[in-house]
Amino acid sequence: MTRRKRMLADLEEAIREHLESETQDNIDRGMSPDEARYAALRKFGNVARVKEETWRVWHVQWLEQLLQDLRFGVRTMWRSPGLTIAAVLAIALGVGMNVGIFSVLNGVALRLLPVPQPRDLVGLNQVFHFQTQPDRLIHNDSSWFSFSEYLDYRDHSDVFSGLVAYEPYVEATLRDRGLQQVLGTAASCNYFDVLMEHPARGRGFVDSECASRGGSAVVVISDDLWHSRFGADPSLVGREIVLNRTAFTVVGIAPARFTGTEPVASAFWIPVTMQEALEPGIDRLSKDNMSWLALLGRMRPGVTIPAARANLDVIAARIDRRHPGRTTSLAIHPATFFSSPDQREYLVPVASVILAAFALVLLIACANVANLLLARASVRQREIALRLSMGAGRWRLVRQLLTESLLISIAGGALGSLVAFGSSAWLFRLVTSRLPHDFPPIAVNVAPDLRVLAYALLLSLFTGIAFGLVPALRSSRPDLNGSMKGQGTAWGTGSRSGRFLLNVLVGSQVAICTVLLVATGLLLRGLHHAQTLDPGFQIKGVATMFLNLEQQGYDGPHATQFMQRFRERIRAIPGVTEVAQAECAPLSHDFSVDKYTIPGNPEPVLVQYNHISHDYFSLLGIPIVRGRSFAPAEKHDAPGIIVTESAARRLWPNQDPLGKVLRESSGREGSVIGVAKDAQVAHLGESTSNYLYYPSGPEDDSRTYILVRYSTRFTDVASSIRDAAHAIDPGVLVDVTRLEDYLEVWRTPSRIVAALSGALSTLALLLCSIGVYGMVSYSVSRSVRDIGIRMALGAGRADVMRHELWQAIRPVLIGGAVGVGLSAAASGVLSSMMFGLGTHDLIAFVSVPLFLLAVALVAILIPSRRAMHIDPVVALRCE
Amino acid sequence: MSTKEQKERVELLQGTLDLLILRTLQRGAMHGHAIAKAIEFRSDDVLQVEQGSLYPALHRLIKRRWISVTDGASENNRRAKFYALTARGRQQLTVETGKWDKLARAIAQILSPGGQEEA
Repeated sequence: MTRRKRMLADLEEAIREHLESETQDNIDRGMSPDEARYAALRKFGNVARVKEETWRVWHVQWLEQLLQDLRFGVRTMWRSPGLTIAAVLAIALGVGMNVGIFSVLNGVALRLLPVPQPRDLVGLNQVFHFQTQPDRLIHNDSSWFSFSEYLDYRDHSDVFSGLVAYEPYVEATLRDRGLQQVLGTAASCNYFDVLMEHPARGRGFVDSECASRGGSAVVVISDDLWHSRFGADPSLVGREIVLNRTAFTVVGIAPARFTGTEPVASAFWIPVTMQEALEPGIDRLSKDNMSWLALLGRMRPGVTIPAARANLDVIAARIDRRHPGRTTSLAIHPATFFSSPDQREYLVPVASVILAAFALVLLIACANVANLLLARASVRQREIALRLSMGAGRWRLVRQLLTESLLISIAGGALGSLVAFGSSAWLFRLVTSRLPHDFPPIAVNVAPDLRVLAYALLLSLFTGIAFGLVPALRSSRPDLNGSMKGQGTAWGTGSRSGRFLLNVLVGSQVAICTVLLVATGLLLRGLHHAQTLDPGFQIKGVATMFLNLEQQGYDGPHATQFMQRFRERIRAIPGVTEVAQAECAPLSHDFSVDKYTIPGNPEPVLVQYNHISHDYFSLLGIPIVRGRSFAPAEKHDAPGIIVTESAARRLWPNQDPLGKVLRESSGREGSVIGVAKDAQVAHLGESTSNYLYYPSGPEDDSRTYILVRYSTRFTDVASSIRDAAHAIDPGVLVDVTRLEDYLEVWRTPSRIVAALSGALSTLALLLCSIGVYGMVSYSVSRSVRDIGIRMALGAGRADVMRHELWQAIRPVLIGGAVGVGLSAAASGVLSSMMFGLGTHDLIAFVSVPLFLLAVALVAILIPSRRAMHIDPVVALRCE
Repeated sequence: MSTKEQKERVELLQGTLDLLILRTLQRGAMHGHAIAKAIEFRSDDVLQVEQGSLYPALHRLIKRRWISVTDGASENNRRAKFYALTARGRQQLTVETGKWDKLARAIAQILSPGGQEEA
């Protein structure tokens, strides 16, 4: 019980005691009991009123004052609806955008996994420290585990009630009722039990299904796949479906809302021991030093993360003993999407830049509202001076003014958040719709949760204080004398600091706006650069497809046979001019690297390589500048290689590269027969890395890209190619795309960010122009009398104009200069994250400030022209 | 209302009751009724406080932590709340007494015949 409550509870008793004592005294003086009691009551006065007054002693202070402030605040806001609406809208815009982007980030990286009791789940990752050369095979994520490591942690730790391992993003071709490429998961057999997501129909896996390799071809499929592919047929459980070339028995259908434990929805789950059934010839299970399995553990009740770490570190140290020169540190964290150290390393800087950009717009909005409040405070100066002179404490006044600004910010925040909650799903779709067309569906929940609500509330409160504190502090110490006498103009007699404050506000708005606009300028230039760039080969008019015949069940000779017939059939399609094969298509994000040595030099060099058919160079229009291209008969076992110009220059400076020898890490040697022109085949925007070509052989046919140059419509060619493949084998899945589409993948990040920052800086510019316009017109209207005096004393209109212009443009110039400096710093950060961004792009850095200056000049000229036409007599009278 | 027992009464100025309570408690802890009695008695019944108004004043002083309150038994062995000065209250009493003396002197000076002529 608080002191207040205790005191009030005792009051009743104290009054009764008092009355009894007084009555007793009266009886002692000889009154009758009735008379005595009556006299006591009369002497005490009105009991109810006494109680009420005592109550008020305790209550009035905080609650009533707050209510008073709120009532007064609402009344004040009501009285100037224009200002209130403007301020609330500005804050709604700023807070709403920030809450929207935060709820997306929350859905992507902060929300716990969408499974029952997610609080007990932790993700487990390992970071290796190598004394010398890193020695680790990586599939997907370097911080994941091998199968034997998983078994070690599962069987020897006692902190988990269950530990799950899974390989996400397993590609497979579903061969039932037509072909479909699907993404699934290879999971340990306790997966559904530990995650508490028991299949809605049928069952999950049982331990015996993971007991032996390749032993149990069972599968659980997603509810989505069940509906879209099998028409929600209840008899599917128990039947077989074919994934790649293996028949799997469907044992269960996953619950409807369960899409797996990764942001990309999983269509099926197979036991991890069936990994090789989907990827024939690739055995990950027995590779003890390969990162390919993500781990999720459900902690036993009462186990803390530090306790779990202590327990697991012992196991990590034991595994390290088998790998000399390596130490492992474990990362244990609440289970969310994108939680591995690798992913966070990328996500955190990107998220912070995005949040910072959105926060900057909110700051501009704050500066605007602060401006408005300062302007209004000057109008209310007489009221405030009156209250101060009546003895109101300054703190009390500040509190009241802050209550008003918090009212605005919370109203704005609530409005903005509501709009954001309604539109964040839309915003998310907007972002994902700009992803390349073959990007799989993303299962991220962007609906607001408690964390988002708390963020919205904190942001609103912070905003209210940010824009309210300075005006409140400033206007609660006005020059009492001047204000009361009605002499004070806005920043009247002590106007220096007031004017300075306004200038700081305008200057900082301009500075922030410059940063956002320059960043947008840089991004747009980067995007333009990426779109108009010549990649060094003819990218238009080429269709491409990747064929993984091995995965589709072909062995080597059959694959070569298929490929020969397929190429013949493609060549026969009308409109097709050339066909070529390559291990990696240009810009396909596939590449191979090896360490090479030059005889006589022990220092190894990293070189990317590609296996290509002889017609690759002519199809892509990459010229051979020296020597010759491969002959049709040349196969991979021939010793000839072709290097790029840059590689030749770097490997054999100032020498003729033809005939020079290069040794692979396997010891095989190749000699240079030709030099090809540099082209951006591996990385967009980068043509000078070391690159060499081998002729492809029959062994390349089981996993290969096919490139087709055509001269007719793409859709016709694509469907003819599909028909050609199905004529040979109806069970082969072929996905034909334009080679140009690979460019999209490279452009996507800049495109998304450019769209976002374009929208952001347009808003910033709008807010900033309103701010500058408001400030100037306000200061002109307050200096009408000054202008009148000057003109009465003979100043020309041009002089007045010049004076007003200079007064107004100064903070804009200073703010702009600061903004350019800040942008230079920010562009370094941006260019490291985005492709094709120049750090010191002159056009962005010059045109943006000039543009801003022009906008500011317009915002200044309109009110200043008013100042020019002031009639001195009217001006002097109007005060 | 009967007037026969009413002498000349003076109404208390705002805030003076606080001072009187503090001064009364200087002699030691007292319960509410005793404080009222003491104020009446020591002013020869001129300052007759409406006894109920004592309680808001007492609570105001408690809230400012100038007095504290404990449970105890009164002289005729009833349970009662006892109020006592705190260290801060003692300090405050000195300050308030000083202020009151100044005020009283100033008013007396204005009201005295000599003072009026000077003005």
